[in-house]
Amino acid sequence: MAKLQDWATWALSPSISAIIVTLVISLTLPVLVHYYLYKRAVAKELPTFLLLGPSGSGKTSLVTLLSNGTASPTHISQAPQTVVCQLPSSTRTSEDKYRSENDTSSRNRPKFAILDTPGHGKLRHHAMSSLTSPGTIKGLLFVVDSAMVSSAAGLTEAAEYLYDILLLLQKRHTQGKTSKGPQGIPVLLVANKQDVFTSLPAVLVKSKLQEELGKVRSTRSKGLLDSGIGMEDEAGDEESNWLGEYGAKKFAFGQMQEHGVEVEVIGSSTSGEAEDAGGMHDCWSWFGANI
Amino acid sequence: MLDAFEILSTSGIVLWRRHYAPLASNVIDSLVRDVFIEEKQKPAGGDTPSYKKDRYTLRWTTAKDVGLVFVAVYQSLLHLSWVENLLTAVKGLFLKSYGPELKNGHTLRISTAQWDQTFDALVSRLDTGSTRRQSDALDSEGPSELTPPSSSAGDEGDEPPPVPAPLFKKPATPTRRDVVDDTSTDATPVPTPDTSRPATPARAASHLLTAKGGPGKASRRSRKAQTFATSAPASSGDESSTNRKAGKNVAAKGKRRWDVDGSAIEGDDDGVLDYSAPATPGLDTTDRELDVENVDAAQMGSRTGKGQFVLKDLDDEVDAILASSKAPSTTTASSDPATGLLGTATSRLTGLFRNVVGGKTLTKADLQQPLQLMQTHLLEKNVAREAAERLCQSVETDLLDHKTAGFTSIETTIRESMSKALTRILTPTSSLDLLRNVTSTTSGANARPYVISIVGVNGVGKSTNLSKIAYFLLQNQFRVLVVAGDTFRSGAVEQLRVHVKNLSALSQRENVGKVELFEKGYGKDAATVARDAVTFATNSGHGQGMLYDVVLIDTAGRRHNDSRLMSSLTKFGQLANPDKIFMVGEALVGTDSVAQARNFAKEFVDTKGKLRNNGVGMDGFIISKCDTVGDMVGTLVSMVHATGIPVVFLGVGQHYGDLRGLNVGWAVERLMR
Repeated sequence: MAKLQDWATWALSPSISAIIVTLVISLTLPVLVHYYLYKRAVAKELPTFLLLGPSGSGKTSLVTLLSNGTASPTHISQAPQTVVCQLPSSTRTSEDKYRSENDTSSRNRPKFAILDTPGHGKLRHHAMSSLTSPGTIKGLLFVVDSAMVSSAAGLTEAAEYLYDILLLLQKRHTQGKTSKGPQGIPVLLVANKQDVFTSLPAVLVKSKLQEELGKVRSTRSKGLLDSGIGMEDEAGDEESNWLGEYGAKKFAFGQMQEHGVEVEVIGSSTSGEAEDAGGMHDCWSWFGANI
Repeated sequence: MLDAFEILSTSGIVLWRRHYAPLASNVIDSLVRDVFIEEKQKPAGGDTPSYKKDRYTLRWTTAKDVGLVFVAVYQSLLHLSWVENLLTAVKGLFLKSYGPELKNGHTLRISTAQWDQTFDALVSRLDTGSTRRQSDALDSEGPSELTPPSSSAGDEGDEPPPVPAPLFKKPATPTRRDVVDDTSTDATPVPTPDTSRPATPARAASHLLTAKGGPGKASRRSRKAQTFATSAPASSGDESSTNRKAGKNVAAKGKRRWDVDGSAIEGDDDGVLDYSAPATPGLDTTDRELDVENVDAAQMGSRTGKGQFVLKDLDDEVDAILASSKAPSTTTASSDPATGLLGTATSRLTGLFRNVVGGKTLTKADLQQPLQLMQTHLLEKNVAREAAERLCQSVETDLLDHKTAGFTSIETTIRESMSKALTRILTPTSSLDLLRNVTSTTSGANARPYVISIVGVNGVGKSTNLSKIAYFLLQNQFRVLVVAGDTFRSGAVEQLRVHVKNLSALSQRENVGKVELFEKGYGKDAATVARDAVTFATNSGHGQGMLYDVVLIDTAGRRHNDSRLMSSLTKFGQLANPDKIFMVGEALVGTDSVAQARNFAKEFVDTKGKLRNNGVGMDGFIISKCDTVGDMVGTLVSMVHATGIPVVFLGVGQHYGDLRGLNVGWAVERLMR
């Protein structure tokens, strides 16, 4: 007890050593605490790209191809998964636009995450909830099976899903809380399975989807009211439920630009040998541009 | 024998697979879709339930914590009893070897070199000899199995079945065969084996399927020996090859040999027709022994401690895994709390604390009471008991050994999980866009009218909802033909006549669409009335195109347990061939909804006996009188749970505009309120 009392007396006395010790402790302790806390949470959020599309379009194969370099066999996904990929060194990122073409210095290869969601009708809520919750979603890849799009049923399914997604993006933009609105999310339409004989080329896939989206848009607007109309306040507004330009007869992806949604189309194939390099190259460069 | 074995993750990637026979990838795809996602199969048999598709039977087991599914595929004709043990053992061993790697997440592929050998050893150990396949595996790299199956004991009647042994026991068998040869050259005829009927069909199948191997060699040799003994080659060839054909006493064909002229060489079994196996033992025993030695040394050498270590340890491990899986799990009772007043008080307090703070791993005992409350809550919302039990069961399996998030109590966790389960049941696989379907059928190349029919029990609101649908279609500029298919109840035709009069007045006022009634009075067969109506609407051959775009057929209400009336529905479905069949169920009905839905759904088979609409029967439910029940919309869940058919419309009143689509979020919110 005496020792404690002595120590306490010394600590509260105005001696130089006590002051110095106090200063040291009070200055270094917060710094240490900061480092401890932020080291744990320092895993910086990687830019994430959301991968979605109707079931059977090749999303999981694409993810394995992008991450490993070879496509593994896959089955229907039941759960979403996040995969970390790294840009190949030959791809230019958006930071590189200030570099000259002939710059041969090594660039760092940024990493990014791809969130692969199930495409089955009952499991699409994973994708929808990832879009509604704010996060670091930098872009969206919508994968379709180019051969399935040539049939009416497959085209309708793809178009309906794409309609839901685009409407969600549009609402997110128009109903944002701040006046500036959230940052737009670019959409890459991947016409997968180009190696299949009955597949349509990417440009044709885009035009067919645009047509079908126009039809879906008109039938949805004329459709029955939902049973949940009392729930949300602004749900009854006709204009907010109309994709793209209100009142336009035809739908074009360009109409989505005002909401910050840029739609691009590329073709790809996960099982090609030499020629898929072309498809994947476009894919990587889109990633690079949007990281 | 297995056709395939796959290990896949819930995210869809195949981590490892072994195919013994070519297998289309859609077999396992349909397993995932039907059982895991759409839950069309009720969880029945024990640990490893089974699923049938085409000619295959699939058995599987899951490891939920790491998100893996282990699937074994085999032909439905076989009955393999050891597959369950295989699945359990594979699951245990795989998790042991690769568990930590998998738990890290983000693994798309794992190095499975070691696993191939482990799997082969496991199969050879668990596979009861009768159904083992010889080393024809398509892409197996394991040591080839050359020990003959035990059922070849029928060949040499007095030879004990050779023990299925790993490779290094092989030198024993050739000597045994030589011994047998000696006995058979003693001019005693080979005793007719008494395996005239195989013990199990599977053993016969193995006889049929093994093309070559031990029995072939031995029997050929014995046959040769007998050729010298007796001079009737065909007959002695008979006996041994008879054995190979599962003991049927049919004159077996001797192997046909052709000489250079193109004529058959008779009765000569000296020549070996099968060049993949060595013909005479004498010549190549040394070879085989050398081979054996080589492989032996390489095996032992390359995997010195580890190679043998794997096999030996494998046995112990496998025994342990199988024993633990068989024994009922008593581990839950291990952490039993203290006794006495103070003990129970502190344990309750800590339990309460953990409950509030979160981070608690849920056990069965924890979940039991809150789940009981949740089930009662669902029952109060008019969900059928069967559906409520199944929902609670699925929530329990989901949440068992799950850790609650921070600051969420058990009740909150259960509520969230239940909302997710309800959303998943109610969300349709593909949502119905009626206008889109009608437009695509009535326009385009081969345009024809779109036929919709409404069925249901008495008094649920079929005619009312049919007129609501007609009103909706009229507003969208279609021409509608309403067919009075209720030829039984007096006043049914007049009721529809009134509706059609109202609707045509409304449509003329707004100048949209056209509606008319097609009726043939009372007493006629509803199926023929429907067919005539469709023909009338199609109006083919009169040069004007279709008269009507949509044909709406009303049917008579019938009790679902009246088999005579229900069977007439099948004929109706086949004759009228509607594009969509909707069943109307009222929201007020209680547990009867399950039986109603099931009985109606199973009536609609097409001419081949397959249920319509991918095997579910009908295309959708219309739940009527939803405005009368308020929050208690549990009938939605019961009917969808019973059949897997989605709900497409809700009737919310008695006016023509009171028809709504289903918003799943609204329904779940009402149910969980």
